Amino acid sequence: MTLQSIWDPEVDFGTPAVQAVDTVSVTIDGHQVDVPAGTSVLRAATEAGVTIPKLCATDSLKAFGSCRMCLVEVDGARGVPASCTTPCSDGMVVSTQTDTVRDLRRNVMELYLSDHPEDCDGCARGNCEIQALAVQVDAAEVRYGRPETRADVAHPQPIDLSNPYFAFDDSACIVCSRCVRACADIQGTFALTVEGRGFDSKISAGGTDFMSSECVSCGACVQACPTSALQEKSIVSLGMPTRSVETTCAYCGVGCSFRAEVQGDGDDSRVVRMIPSKNGGANEGHSCVKGRFAYGYAAHKDRQLSPMVRDTIDDEWRKVSWDEAIAKAADGFKALQAEHGVGAIGGISSSRCTNEEVYVVQKMVRAAFGNNNIDTCARVCHSPTGYGLKQTLGTSAGTQDFRSVEATDVILLIGANPTDAHPVFASRMKRRLRAGAQLIVADPRRIDLVRSPHVEAAFHLPVLPGSNVAFVNAMTHVIVTEGLHDLEFVRERCEDAEDYLAFIADPSNSPEATAEATGIDPDQLRAAARLYATGGNAAIYYGLGVTEHSQGSTMVMGMANLAMVTGNLGHNGVGVNPLRGQNNVQGSNDMGSFPHEFPGNRHISDEGARDIYQQLWGRTLDPDPGLRIPNMFDAALGGTFRGLYIQGEDIAQSDPNTQHVEAALRAMDLVVVQDLFLNETARFAHVFLPGTSFLEKDGTFTNAERRINRVRPVFASKVGMDEWEITCAIGRAMGYEDMSYGSASEIMDEVAATTPTFAGVSFARLDEVGSMQWPVFDTTSTGTPIMHVGGFVRGKGKLIETVYVPTTERSTRKYPLILTTGRILSQYNVGAQTRRTANNTWHPEDILEIHPADAEMRGISTGDLVDLSSRVGSTTLRASVSERMPAGVVYTTFHHPVTGANVVTTENSDWATNCPEYKVTAVEVGVANARGDAAIAETRAPADMHA
Amino acid sequence: MGNDIARQFAHLPTEVAAQAVARHIETFWDPRMRRALEALVAEHDDSLDPLLVDAVGRLAKHAARSTPDAQP
Repeated sequence: MTLQSIWDPEVDFGTPAVQAVDTVSVTIDGHQVDVPAGTSVLRAATEAGVTIPKLCATDSLKAFGSCRMCLVEVDGARGVPASCTTPCSDGMVVSTQTDTVRDLRRNVMELYLSDHPEDCDGCARGNCEIQALAVQVDAAEVRYGRPETRADVAHPQPIDLSNPYFAFDDSACIVCSRCVRACADIQGTFALTVEGRGFDSKISAGGTDFMSSECVSCGACVQACPTSALQEKSIVSLGMPTRSVETTCAYCGVGCSFRAEVQGDGDDSRVVRMIPSKNGGANEGHSCVKGRFAYGYAAHKDRQLSPMVRDTIDDEWRKVSWDEAIAKAADGFKALQAEHGVGAIGGISSSRCTNEEVYVVQKMVRAAFGNNNIDTCARVCHSPTGYGLKQTLGTSAGTQDFRSVEATDVILLIGANPTDAHPVFASRMKRRLRAGAQLIVADPRRIDLVRSPHVEAAFHLPVLPGSNVAFVNAMTHVIVTEGLHDLEFVRERCEDAEDYLAFIADPSNSPEATAEATGIDPDQLRAAARLYATGGNAAIYYGLGVTEHSQGSTMVMGMANLAMVTGNLGHNGVGVNPLRGQNNVQGSNDMGSFPHEFPGNRHISDEGARDIYQQLWGRTLDPDPGLRIPNMFDAALGGTFRGLYIQGEDIAQSDPNTQHVEAALRAMDLVVVQDLFLNETARFAHVFLPGTSFLEKDGTFTNAERRINRVRPVFASKVGMDEWEITCAIGRAMGYEDMSYGSASEIMDEVAATTPTFAGVSFARLDEVGSMQWPVFDTTSTGTPIMHVGGFVRGKGKLIETVYVPTTERSTRKYPLILTTGRILSQYNVGAQTRRTANNTWHPEDILEIHPADAEMRGISTGDLVDLSSRVGSTTLRASVSERMPAGVVYTTFHHPVTGANVVTTENSDWATNCPEYKVTAVEVGVANARGDAAIAETRAPADMHA
Repeated sequence: MGNDIARQFAHLPTEVAAQAVARHIETFWDPRMRRALEALVAEHDDSLDPLLVDAVGRLAKHAARSTPDAQP
């Protein structure tokens, strides 16, 4: 394991890099440098190793030209232009240190210092550039005087401490507008502004404090601030970092790269802050409130660091050695197989673990357990994506890189809420929308992107839950029947076109015929379809609002059909793009975590693939599929499935029909849970194996754009073993000796040696190039940002007839409303991580959103506790009356175990993959009775909040 | 679950649909689930979709799989 030992902040080049074919040659202070045409003098100077003082410029923002610090002189030109706004021209000769510019900079700096307190704690700490810059420009003496303390500045204000993660000290602010521009240009929230004029101007969060404002705590303003006016509270309380480690966020499928800035070495190490990496391929320097700030769970007091065992789930846990815990798990699994057969046990891997960790879990199940009872939490989110895209296009993954959206003209967003669930990609999307792309939102809920600052969807189609396939068929019907499809693309690159075009042109698929099912105005749908087909590059982005339906797989195929018939595949700006829920959903799919697939999405009946692993692993492998997660539960209740190893997934909270899941867990003889915390599932476990946080892991995550990113350990495992070592130890203890690796990189080497799409991947290559998007077929390739260029992975794209089959889950007189579920920005999935951070400040409980008409009919007001009941269970939560919801549909999140939203969701699932139909549950809502009020109040003890 | 699969293929000609359902089950179902389904068919469980019953009768004929999955 290598721990980077030097804190080395990223170089700020002052202005963004320019992409241009032509280069120009300039000479700056005698240094010649070649740069792309259009590059600023400031950036060229930095690239040449020449430092020009600056305050309002930073390379994440367009040049602003206001601070007058970066002035230079150019031979043959008049005046002293700002180098940030001056583009280089060929042959230009620049001087950055003439007497003229030095005098000007010193004078300007004196003005800044005249209202910057001498006791600025950021200056003392090294987190404020003002003091260092003053020395640099020789402005130690200030002719106009300087306030001694922050109370002596011209307009002293109390420090705004309202945000849990950062503070705003107006006295240190120089009103350079970097924060305002970051909030607008990078994040796209427009929460900040400059109030007042001249010397009275100041930064304002819309006239209120940060916490009460529109601020979404992405941290872009803090990162952009050149002073300590905006700074992390952790920097104030802990001080500056001493080293940094480049790694990957452990939250959503965007997979942002971060520099973990750390103090100390070894066991005393602690993270001071997380800074988004400018070179991160997925995020390019941006972040959200989760990745940027909500990392404190890794050191939370609830974290379990010792292995524990118990004989029954009613016993107390007993801390034991690793050897004893592993022996109990392995001996128990062997005994169950001896008594009940090879197929009596299985494992579930986690999309929060690394590729290397999930690879060894499936290896343990296939080689040591001797069966294919391996599944992953992708089962309950994006398994229909894998099925649908493989059937139609030939590969179980999205088609584009995130950057592709910059070339998109029409975005069709279906069943996804990126500003909450994938916020960093949402910012990228909003930038493109502000630049002129059009947006079609298909979602029952009026999500923020329908209308937010400087973004307004051309169409919001409030498709009723359960009717997605009817909707997408109607879109394609309009395009085909109006002759707007790309017949040449269809003829050249697709198969079964004739049958499909006849099917989709049938009047039963028209917007008018499907309107009752979809709830969408046919005229609106027709207009949206025309825009998608004729508006230029059209790209589909989708989320769990597509997959978590009884026809989730059919809908994925329907979207692929739509993209194919319009030729929107195989080039930049288009595609079918799943927004993956967890950081390594794609990776866990890729690493053979499904019961029917080896790594690289090869079916286990593929003899060639099976032979590769049989020879390497020295075991005969089962050619029949194993149990999927819901099948495991059914088999457990049926008595044929008796033992389960669960890596980092809280199935008792996240999976549908909680009563059913809990009954299945209770029915098993041996449940082994590997996790950071004693989660809800651990209540049913007999062996608890403590896991490692992302800050301790060495490996890779693969994000939604197939980008393989390195995860590097900030400090050593706090539990004494890496997670892959624990899994290997269980496998060995069960008698399968060939489960030993010297390091995580050796596991990736095995993946590369056995999986064609990963053939060119290694830790060394990733360390060299930063990241790669699979397929990486050999070591000369750096990956494939866009798939299906020139042809589909399966050869011809397959147009599949996607007949709309309504879900059997329908509203009834007893349950007249439809519940759909989702996420909120500040929380993540079951909340195991975010609930143990100050993110709880924003979302301390799950809320039920209900339309005003539905609320009035039931006498419900915002803030009321309400009973939410379905045919399988009921729970109590607080209501929010909201016009974001259509009448007849209610919405909640599933972040809090107190609410247990999955108590009411049913066992209905996608016909092809068994992905649960979380998005459609018939429910009734009513004001909770007094007993309910008391019960919920009792369970709602104040949450622990640790940053 | 089997009925759900059958409903997705019901628009196809019976012969094609039954084969497709059978191949889907073989491709994705654990053998014990297949056996349980076969037992239901043997018991003449009338809750089963006739197309599913037809497909179950073809499972043995698909013992050797050559392609990953059937097409809906």
